[in-house]
Amino acid sequence: MDVNISQLIAALPDDGGPSSTQTLTQERVHEIFADLAYRPMPLGSLHRLWTASELSAQIALAYLAYGIRQWFCDAETAEKALLETNLRVALKVFHRLGYLRGAFAKIGQTAAHMPNVLPDQVAETLDTLHSSAPPMHYLLIREVVRNEFGKDPEELFATFEREAFAAASIGQVHRATLKTGERVAVKIQYPGIARTIDADFRNIQALMLPMRLGKEWESVKAQAGEIHRMLKQEVDYRQEAESLRNAAALFQPEDGIVVPRVYPEVSGLRVLTTELLQGTHLPEYLAANPTQASRNEFGTKIDRAWWRLYLAFIGYSDPNPGNYIFLSDGRLGLLDFGCVRHFTEEERELVRLADKAAFEDPSLMPQLVQKACGIHPADPEFGAYLRIMQDTCDWMLAPHSQPGPFDFGNPSHFDKGAELFSGVVRSRHVRAHPMYVYHNRAVYGLLALLYRLGAQVDVAEVLRQERARNPA
Amino acid sequence: MRITANAKVATRQRILEVASKLFLDAGWHPTTTRGIAAEAGIATGTLFNYFATKEAVAAALIETALERAYEGLPNQPGYGDSVEGDLFSLVWSGFRSLAGFRTFLGAAAETIFSPLARQSPDSPGDAIRTTHLQWVQSIIAEHGVPKPLPAVTLQLYWTLYLGVLAYWAADESPGQEDTLALLDQALKLFVSSLGAAR
Ligand SMILES: Nc1ncnc2c1ncn2[C@@H]1O[C@H](COP(=O)(O)OP(=O)(O)O)[C@@H](O)[C@H]1O
Repeated sequence: MDVNISQLIAALPDDGGPSSTQTLTQERVHEIFADLAYRPMPLGSLHRLWTASELSAQIALAYLAYGIRQWFCDAETAEKALLETNLRVALKVFHRLGYLRGAFAKIGQTAAHMPNVLPDQVAETLDTLHSSAPPMHYLLIREVVRNEFGKDPEELFATFEREAFAAASIGQVHRATLKTGERVAVKIQYPGIARTIDADFRNIQALMLPMRLGKEWESVKAQAGEIHRMLKQEVDYRQEAESLRNAAALFQPEDGIVVPRVYPEVSGLRVLTTELLQGTHLPEYLAANPTQASRNEFGTKIDRAWWRLYLAFIGYSDPNPGNYIFLSDGRLGLLDFGCVRHFTEEERELVRLADKAAFEDPSLMPQLVQKACGIHPADPEFGAYLRIMQDTCDWMLAPHSQPGPFDFGNPSHFDKGAELFSGVVRSRHVRAHPMYVYHNRAVYGLLALLYRLGAQVDVAEVLRQERARNPA
Repeated sequence: MRITANAKVATRQRILEVASKLFLDAGWHPTTTRGIAAEAGIATGTLFNYFATKEAVAAALIETALERAYEGLPNQPGYGDSVEGDLFSLVWSGFRSLAGFRTFLGAAAETIFSPLARQSPDSPGDAIRTTHLQWVQSIIAEHGVPKPLPAVTLQLYWTLYLGVLAYWAADESPGQEDTLALLDQALKLFVSSLGAAR
């Protein structure tokens, strides 16, 4: 055996704090941000970085302790004493969650590269634990519900399905019936995730330190801060409930757009109960070969919902198509309000300026670049940023500047957008107001959705109507 | 003088009550067998007729609490659905039952379950370990993995269990939700390791 005990002990953390600081390069951080802009939150590598550092690392430790014991099971007394010392170390370390994060992330990762220490199977399992919140069996669900309300699901609901019917980004969703008879969807969060976010962001900040001399530092720091803020909001289901209520108030029955109602008496920090919307998601909707007219209607509703929220200064920021539900009566359901941005006064100014520059007065473009990207006109890169802004606005306006419906199913418009965006990331012109971290991915997400739907939408007309309802 | 069986049971019970109070109030490390005996109003020598060490006293407390939990297991809604869920119930209802001892359990577990202690014939942690692992084996067997399990598999389980127990004992998160997550993941890992045994 060529791994010896002192190497193993050396692999256990000492009190020096996280030591993986240097392993993440500036390039990597950029990649991560770019990645984040495209994927649903839980699978982005940044997210993986912080949920992974937590628990699987502790399990890796348990394996180390286990490994240590195995090597010594036939050993002499002196060695047994050493074994006991190591077991003590292992148990002690388990006590100290705060400490586990940074240093253990490293162990978790390196463990996977120490075939002499861990059997393949274990390394593989460690890997799979990294990717997303694992499904919860009913007995765990019950504990989470009990922690929240002090009561079991069987006491709170008339019926409660033990099997989840859908996965959520950091939890899962169960069908249930209220005591008053309504059918509901109960979203339950995997325990412990929310509380890791702050500590993990401290680690992320440490990881980013090597970048601090670069010219993008301030902007990157602000963007990281924005992601931190939004994640904290996303894990707080009470805030999601509030956003759902605000959004629901914006839609009338004649819009054919529904935001599910919240049931506050069975909702809280980690559990959210909403009216069950019965319908299909995009893939099943498309699989049933809907007519062009139906696609167009849904596409128009999706576009209308977007503008209705945007003009109320609510950014519907999660581009995941799973957030839209196609009801059989033709209504559109809007589901996920965890990742919603309520624009600040400063951001509202920016929204107004961007609208004006894009739709009315191109001469405002330089001013917009200065405000939106934080670039001074004297900056040598100002010209490059101005060009990007101009191209982006032209592209976004294209569907608006033709009479009648625009065919979003035409791939050329979609491809052009993808090209623009990846160009921005490649050329590292990433300085932007933090609100754009989410706004950009939402806009591209919306477009991707309309593209897959193959919808023809008269976006200019929708916008005209929405503006008329909302003169502000 | 003959000591009746009833008196014996009463003394034992009294020692356990006094000891649990001392472990909780004074802490694990400062509490000694002599201190327990004094508080219980018996000679230290008498205490040794009942328990050889303070570890043995604590182990008896733990054992009783766990047995109470195991009895209630089959009544839990959802019990029987899956290996993972059943093992989860086994561990978590045990923890619930031990909740009153949480403050000293972490420190106590280190010596009670020390692998060195296991070398001696009457190790205090042995009975707890044996009973718990019997439950684990029968749960796994219920779900179709043939008995007996390889020793290594049980060893793996026990290592994880001790880690989670120690973690739980010091867990300050609301409702010990961090332990819930740790336990869930530890069990996922364990159950996936059964794949090879199946
Ligand atoms: N009120 C509801 N009615 C019907 N399905 C729902 C409802 N709420 C959630 N779901 C289902 O659960 C999935 C995840 O819910 P969502 O709120 O998007 O979770 P998260 O944003 O946390 O990932 C949805 O895609 C949908 O399939």
